[in-house]
Amino acid sequence: MGICLFINPIKGAGDDLPDIGSHAPNTAFVDQYDLDKTDLSQFAALILPAHIDQRFLGTRSDQITTFLDQGGTLVFNGHVAWPMLPELKPFVPLERQSLENLMIYRVNHHPVFDGVDCNDLTFKRGVAGFYARGSNPPPDGAIPLHVLGKEQLVCDWLYERPKGGRILMHSGNDLWMYIGSQNSTSRVVPQLCAWAGGE
Amino acid sequence: MGKLAIIDTGTYYHHRVIHEDRFGHFFDQAIYIRDLCKTDLSAITTLIVPCRTDPAHLVAHRKLFADFLNDGKTVVAMGSTGPDKWLDDISWRFTPTNFWWWKEGGSLNLEIAEPEHSLFDYVKLTDATWHHHGLLTPPAGATSLINANKAGSIFYDDRVTSPGRKIVTTLDPMYHHGNHFMPATSRFLDGFLPWLKSQ
Repeated sequence: MGICLFINPIKGAGDDLPDIGSHAPNTAFVDQYDLDKTDLSQFAALILPAHIDQRFLGTRSDQITTFLDQGGTLVFNGHVAWPMLPELKPFVPLERQSLENLMIYRVNHHPVFDGVDCNDLTFKRGVAGFYARGSNPPPDGAIPLHVLGKEQLVCDWLYERPKGGRILMHSGNDLWMYIGSQNSTSRVVPQLCAWAGGE
Repeated sequence: MGKLAIIDTGTYYHHRVIHEDRFGHFFDQAIYIRDLCKTDLSAITTLIVPCRTDPAHLVAHRKLFADFLNDGKTVVAMGSTGPDKWLDDISWRFTPTNFWWWKEGGSLNLEIAEPEHSLFDYVKLTDATWHHHGLLTPPAGATSLINANKAGSIFYDDRVTSPGRKIVTTLDPMYHHGNHFMPATSRFLDGFLPWLKSQ
């Protein structure tokens, strides 16, 4: 299995940003501003946290494009504010954050979400909205995985690039917020690392 | 009227606060964090460090913040920025963050400590009530504006420990507004930024 390189998220004084830690066997970590000194060719996947300097990432678009062209996997968490690749477009929030609009629906199956109940994604302690509140719009040809509400706003998608490589998009909080969860979402992190690592 | 500058860490949540319509017009200057050391701050009277700016990226600028205060200017340190690491005379301590009080009963037990302070012409206590990241002990002579649980301050105004002014809080409204989450945080900024501008 290939190694997934996680960019370390920023660390504030909050206590609500979980580390991926030892929850998957095939992980490596680098600080975001060391990306320019990192040889990405040794990794199967580059995994970006929501808490990242997207302006800096924009300066690394050639490096990331080369990584993708060589067959790499990019996993993006968060809202796109500073598009750093042509496949990424700025985040579009839900117009109204009603419960109905915040419901998560699966429209295509994917190994990362195998066995994960959409109700467990929609609700955390009975509250909706933690998973996603809008969409990073998919490029033409992307496969939608999860959509929000009746409007079917695509919050998760997979794009197999014609030039090689693939992008898994999650338009919300870091998927590894589910580490240690007590429901079906506990499957997300190991399945994410297995899939991204090319198992 | 103060001249406000705010640090931009390149995250999507700072982008929404700094570069989008609702609040962007309050800032006379946005300073990308990696450009801070080469930015001319001479025309700026108030420098805002927004929530969740990584303290690791601020420690290197300790002298810049100290010099800014020594010039009689104002530094605003928002929540989850670890201000005790990059400003003098800050006493902060970790407390578990109570995210769920509104759902599971109970209260944050916030109280206005200085009702006559001009902040409260702009901000209601209900709009400062979502959660906080740790507690502050204001230095002698500083004015706590909001206390929590009678155990410490979550917002104080310090005009005594430097020739300038330190406004320090453990609230993180920019992070949550930037996430399109928790409407009270947007309402807090509706009052807080005009108040800062009026100082």
